[in-house]
Amino acid sequence: MHPQSNSEGYAILTDLTKCIGCEACVQACKTINELPPAEHPSKLSATTWTYIDRREGVNIRRQCLHCLDPACASVCPVAALHKTETGAVIYDFNRCIGCRYCLLACPFEIPKYEWDKALPRVQKCILCYEKRVSKGEEPACTAICPTGATLFGKRNELLDVARQRIKDHPEIYVNHIYGVAEAGGTSVLYLSDVPFEQLGFKTAQTTPYPQLTWNILRHIPTVVSVGGVGMLGTWWIIHRRMLIEKVNNGELSEEEAFGKRGETP
Amino acid sequence: MKIKITFWRVIALLILLAGLYATFLRFTRGLGAVTNLSDQFPWGLWIGFDVLVGVGLAAGGFTIAAIVHIFNIETYESISRPTLLTAFLGYLLVATAIMFDIGQPHRIWHPIIMWNPHSVMFEVAWCVTLYLTVLALEFSPIVFEKFNLNVPLKVMRTIYLPLVILGVLLSMLHQSSLGTVYVIVPDKLYGLWYSPMLPIFFFISAISVGLAMTIFESFLSYRAFGKRLELNILVGLARVLVVILAVYLILKFQDLRLRGNLPLVFQLTEESVLFWGEIGLGVFLPMILLFIPQVRVKRAGLFFSALLVIMGFILNRLNVSITGMLHNETYFPKWTEVAITLSFVTVGFIVFALAVKYLDIFPTEEIDPHNPPPLEQIGLSGRVILGMWGVVLAGFIIYGLAKDNRLEHPVEAAAIERKTDPLRELEFTNLPADIVYDKSDMGTVTFSHETHLLLVDNPQCQPCHPKLYDYNITPKQQTPLVGDVMHESQSCGHCHNGTMAFSIEEECTLCHVE
Repeated sequence: MHPQSNSEGYAILTDLTKCIGCEACVQACKTINELPPAEHPSKLSATTWTYIDRREGVNIRRQCLHCLDPACASVCPVAALHKTETGAVIYDFNRCIGCRYCLLACPFEIPKYEWDKALPRVQKCILCYEKRVSKGEEPACTAICPTGATLFGKRNELLDVARQRIKDHPEIYVNHIYGVAEAGGTSVLYLSDVPFEQLGFKTAQTTPYPQLTWNILRHIPTVVSVGGVGMLGTWWIIHRRMLIEKVNNGELSEEEAFGKRGETP
Repeated sequence: MKIKITFWRVIALLILLAGLYATFLRFTRGLGAVTNLSDQFPWGLWIGFDVLVGVGLAAGGFTIAAIVHIFNIETYESISRPTLLTAFLGYLLVATAIMFDIGQPHRIWHPIIMWNPHSVMFEVAWCVTLYLTVLALEFSPIVFEKFNLNVPLKVMRTIYLPLVILGVLLSMLHQSSLGTVYVIVPDKLYGLWYSPMLPIFFFISAISVGLAMTIFESFLSYRAFGKRLELNILVGLARVLVVILAVYLILKFQDLRLRGNLPLVFQLTEESVLFWGEIGLGVFLPMILLFIPQVRVKRAGLFFSALLVIMGFILNRLNVSITGMLHNETYFPKWTEVAITLSFVTVGFIVFALAVKYLDIFPTEEIDPHNPPPLEQIGLSGRVILGMWGVVLAGFIIYGLAKDNRLEHPVEAAAIERKTDPLRELEFTNLPADIVYDKSDMGTVTFSHETHLLLVDNPQCQPCHPKLYDYNITPKQQTPLVGDVMHESQSCGHCHNGTMAFSIEEECTLCHVE
């Protein structure tokens, strides 16, 4: 359930006060993942895994938040999505059946689908897991960021960096690190000088989303055993009463009803 | 054999032709070409109707099985076969519908070997697979009988009770779990429908619609095939139905109250109108009608009320899966989606009719041909139903089409006040190393990101990136480009033209260092 519930693992810290919106990260992402180029993409799609959301002068780099306990991975019936020890939530197309429950369940609306393909894949940022992070390199987007607005590192270390920045410049930063607790914590963190609600950040609940369904699913063994025994018992009692009634009405002899060993009615 | 051409047969044929064409498009061009689904609205009519409604309408199978075999109420035995047939048929259609909806239909078996026990969908997949097997076994005696296969019949009789219990358990699990599917989207599903209690609502409503479908089918078979109508049995079911509808109603409103969503019920929104269509016309009205003995014991009253329950159920599932999930999104099914869904319904009717004709589904007694059932009895109520549901359907369609004005009022953005301006207080802490060109005999030229950014009043990346040069994580430190190419407008010359920056024609030594 919680492959990543501690603060180990890698993360990204994006500081909105330092982003100049140059889109180097967007282009680097497209290059390394061999996605078709697009000029100034304005939303995530199957072919755009990160983009700059421009809101009245604030540049917000959107991407998968790589939740510590991801809803997408929890709902996937075939475990095609999973959280690795590095922190990346990755996708295995060879397992995927294409049910799109991940698209529905993600509270941040991150996974996208290749609607125009005959055998479509789910697409989203995978933190450059295969091409870079698993080889000990940082993701393309953070590597190329010229201003250091988006940083890669251990999650607990980045949290320290973020806390220090807020402490050093309380006049600039909003006293909130987005992703510290949202959806139970995410591996992509944000700092901002503008309240997050005004920038279209979802005010997600702080308990992990998978717990909502797990609280129900975990009762299944109880339901099955109690239900099974209950029904069998109901049948047993009613069936026996009916036999007794038949014996009393003379429709059956006692032996016919209860066998030779007999059970007195 | 001559097939008579009737109005309904022509309609069925047209639907199937359209469905066939849509199927061809679905499997050659993909989901994007035949559906109006999108990243924002990934589940539409096929999940909402074909799967959620389909599974629910087949719930009569386990409800009646439990009544007959577990509670040992033998009087209901005579209707257990038609409900079993509906269930078996229903689940086969649902399984097929899932093949249409998922992107990788050839991998539909994956959940069997690739496990994720934390997924509701995984559990549903397992339950439906197992239940389909159980239904096939439960149904098999009817086929064995037809061909007088006595040995398998005997085997089936011995394992019938455990089989029925397994079937009821599996149904309890997945009927409720289809509601659990939506428990993980508290931010997306509208307050009138979202609740952690969804599995309970789905389960109770499945039982009620199972009973209603049993009544409904009995009437259809009575009208279409002249099968005997066991009114007293159906009236008994109707009494149970009243209780279940009442329980549902109480739980539903109690849940709305406790979650503080009761005010939503009394606001005039598209959602509340459809909610009242579902609860008022689909739960409350039939509950009252069936509670009145004079209505309950009349064929028309019984049939009409059962139909209300079924329509209410359908509306409920569509409300959860579509209305409640819409908000700022837009979705209205494409004709191809509708054609495929209607084809499933049509195939269901056709196979049911064939099975009734060739297998021993209904009690053998038939109605006296000289005294045919009074067909006109349900004429009036039929028209009333059509009228009422026409209104609700119109509301649904208007709701779907009214997407434009719904997109108009997303969040009134509060004026954003920045505390800092990244463009004023530039800090380039992560610039690439200098790029050195030393292949030319004109001397070494060094391009420095830093110099270029610091010398410009309003530094930007755009003049060069990504049009002239791709952003590259590992920039080439050397380049084979020499001579005039560097001077052209595709390179240094792009800016060094005398207007944006000093021209390449002058000041050579500024770049070309000895």
